Amino acid sequence: MGKDGYIDTFKYFLLPFCLFVFGLFALMLAVYFSASIPIFKHEGLKIYTTNAWIASENPNKEFYGVLAAIYGSVYTSVLAVLIALPLSISFAVFVIDYAPRRLKEPLIVATDVMAGLPTIIYGIWGAFVLVPLLKKCVMDPLYAHFSFIPLFSFKPVTGYSYLSAGVLLGIMVTPFASAIIREAYRSLPFMYREAIYSLGATRYEATKILIKQIKPAIVAGLLLAFGRAIGETVAVSLVIGNTFNISPSLFAPGYTISSLIANQFGNAFIYKYMVSALFAAGLSLFFIGLAVNILGILILRRYGHGR
Amino acid sequence: MILAEKDRKSEEDALEKMAKMRHAIETIDLNIYYGDHHVIKGVNLAIPEKVVFAIMGPSGCGKSTMLRAFNRLLELNESTRVEGDVKVFGKSIFKMNPIEVRRTVGMVFQHPNPFPHMSIYDNVALGLKLNKLVKDRKELDRIVEWALRKAALWEEVENKLHKPASALSGGQQQRLCIARVVAMKPKVILMDEPTSNLDPISTKKIEELIYELKKELTVVIVTHSPAQAARVSDYVAFLYLGKLVEVGSTVDMFENPKEKLTEEYLTGRMG
Amino acid sequence: MVDSLKVRLFKEKLFLIGIAVLTISTVLPLFHIMFSIAANGIPVLLKGGWDFITGTLAPPGGGLGGIGPAIVGTFILTVLASLMGLPVAVLTGIYAAEYPNSLIGRATKTLLMVMMEFPTILVGLFVMDIVVLPMGSYSAIAGALSLAIVMMPYVAVYTDEALRNIPPKYREGAFALGLTRFKVVFRVLIGLARKGIMTGILIGIAKVAGETAPLLFTAGGATRVYFAGLNRPVGAIPLLIYQLVQQPYTNYHEIAWGASLLLMLIFLAIFLPIRLSLKEVKL
Repeated sequence: MGKDGYIDTFKYFLLPFCLFVFGLFALMLAVYFSASIPIFKHEGLKIYTTNAWIASENPNKEFYGVLAAIYGSVYTSVLAVLIALPLSISFAVFVIDYAPRRLKEPLIVATDVMAGLPTIIYGIWGAFVLVPLLKKCVMDPLYAHFSFIPLFSFKPVTGYSYLSAGVLLGIMVTPFASAIIREAYRSLPFMYREAIYSLGATRYEATKILIKQIKPAIVAGLLLAFGRAIGETVAVSLVIGNTFNISPSLFAPGYTISSLIANQFGNAFIYKYMVSALFAAGLSLFFIGLAVNILGILILRRYGHGR
Repeated sequence: MILAEKDRKSEEDALEKMAKMRHAIETIDLNIYYGDHHVIKGVNLAIPEKVVFAIMGPSGCGKSTMLRAFNRLLELNESTRVEGDVKVFGKSIFKMNPIEVRRTVGMVFQHPNPFPHMSIYDNVALGLKLNKLVKDRKELDRIVEWALRKAALWEEVENKLHKPASALSGGQQQRLCIARVVAMKPKVILMDEPTSNLDPISTKKIEELIYELKKELTVVIVTHSPAQAARVSDYVAFLYLGKLVEVGSTVDMFENPKEKLTEEYLTGRMG
Repeated sequence: MVDSLKVRLFKEKLFLIGIAVLTISTVLPLFHIMFSIAANGIPVLLKGGWDFITGTLAPPGGGLGGIGPAIVGTFILTVLASLMGLPVAVLTGIYAAEYPNSLIGRATKTLLMVMMEFPTILVGLFVMDIVVLPMGSYSAIAGALSLAIVMMPYVAVYTDEALRNIPPKYREGAFALGLTRFKVVFRVLIGLARKGIMTGILIGIAKVAGETAPLLFTAGGATRVYFAGLNRPVGAIPLLIYQLVQQPYTNYHEIAWGASLLLMLIFLAIFLPIRLSLKEVKL
């Protein structure tokens, strides 16, 4: 019953659909949990703390540790964010304040197309074009001259590596981060622009001051970009090299959680525990993604840049 | 109070005096377009040094737009176009770098706009730091205090200089904006309806400040209120639909307006 | 003093050049991608001709054949996903918009935004567990359900925002006529918000038509059979590309390029008209 004594039938008609969505989400979580239980019983939390992939016909010999994949996911996503940071801020500032008027709209449309482009398109381009390009122009020269630095210490044999995945992800998430930063920057009241220029600031100085005012939106944009990067599957799995490996070197191949799932699931059902191990990996991806995204959304909402 | 202190010379005397003075700002056939819209139509105006000069008129007459031409702030908006010339102390502002113009001609806005993410101190220090007007921290401290005293804000913020500016009241924020400008020691300060968003007590404080400021510099204040123009200004220009209707000493114009439009505006039949 | 101004102006110039270069770097990959896809894809389409669209896959190492089953599959999956996802999405969006201050309304909005960012591979994993395992086979139904879950939050968020953007006077006017809430929403408000809702639906469709990860363990893929029933595996263009790229055969790589060109054209054909008719989109 409502306050004034009538029943809001409309609300009760819609409510089941809402609850269905909540139920769906809860069911997903429940499925990941229950499907992960066998591996937890088999080896406990070692699934997350070790790097191993021992598949065997004999269940007692099976042992899985997805640390390499978690490491690779975080490593490549951090790389992506590091690439997206300067690009997305520059793009937002340039498009709003400095681009010639006729270029503004086309530039924004271009990034919107990038944000929506099917990820498999990035994948095929990454595997056949970007990886050879990076290997030839970046990895080989850096390895030849700077291999004493741990970051460059791995000999780039194929080019499939953390770096390739990080760069590809960076290209993919930049438009997305930039859209959030752009909206916040655009909505800065004009009076602050007037204030800083009236004090005799150059455009460089003015931009520096104005950008500081939207720091929360930048943080949120990059968090959400990180969330996208860590959840991306097919594009990454085509360029990361799919190797159980924990290396600081940018040129080493590796795994990410999602590419591990994509790669191993096909034959996982032959073994007793592998499916469960992959679900446990999915569970960790679920929580990392959820935490990062909720944080990003809350920051946006709190500082009034909510979408 | 301010009116009473003014010497009541004849109209001719006042205009003669105006002509003899060095001009802080002079406009020559100033035309401003906003897209296709002709906002300011052929204004010729000479603003003497060290006076308070009010530009009044009903809202939408182009006052604020014209004011922003004086420090080249209009350029922030791509769709505006300026024709004619504006001279600051005899020098065309279009032959100067906009940064130099804005250092000489400071501005206070309608909405108090200190940077909310910066401290009170940093807000005042901002222009000084940007323009590298100070040698060291000690000098900076000294000028910040001096400017805050000039803006009659020092006593109120002395103990919270490093608190964010957003913690101040609207009236205090506006005085902070005045301190921010004063700190750079400009020769002219433009004020765009500086009290229109403030309560009467804050308004009075700001008006007293304006009176103090003119001892050292020129204040050009835009207002839609004839009463405020009468209270604070020595000279006044009446702008209507982008055209300069009348200009002269405040006393004369209020006692004896020459144009019928002016009289209608002053007596409240318009605006 | 003058010198310090010169330094500042020099820095300003460097800054402007810097962000212009970075801006170009942001969009450059798009043009590189489009160029690469076109350069590698167009010859394949020309060589394959009409057969490339309608035919079935060639054997490894020999010829092109066609990607007909994948095109049919993408079409079937998208239609099915829309049928499953849209009603729930629109009604949930209405709830979030009509009860924006209630606990459930706010929570729904947050949940929708979280689901928009949800890793799509996990959706595939979920559907595999609840549909594919019990059925014992990959199927069109499972693939479509996966895509429906991916599509749902986009459509719901667009519906929510389209309704919120209706000026209150229309709502008040409709209530003032004595209409029930049902009629106000379904007869009046939905009509006013239809452009926003349609946009959401089209964006959702463009999104899922290009999705790969949710189909990996659900749709199964098909390259020789166009459609064998809702409970049988079905192909999809993105899935096919993913599988072909990982094969060692050159002819399969060629087919992948051709399929990518088609997929990109389909995406642009849906997306560009929407984008150009609007000021902004959320992706």
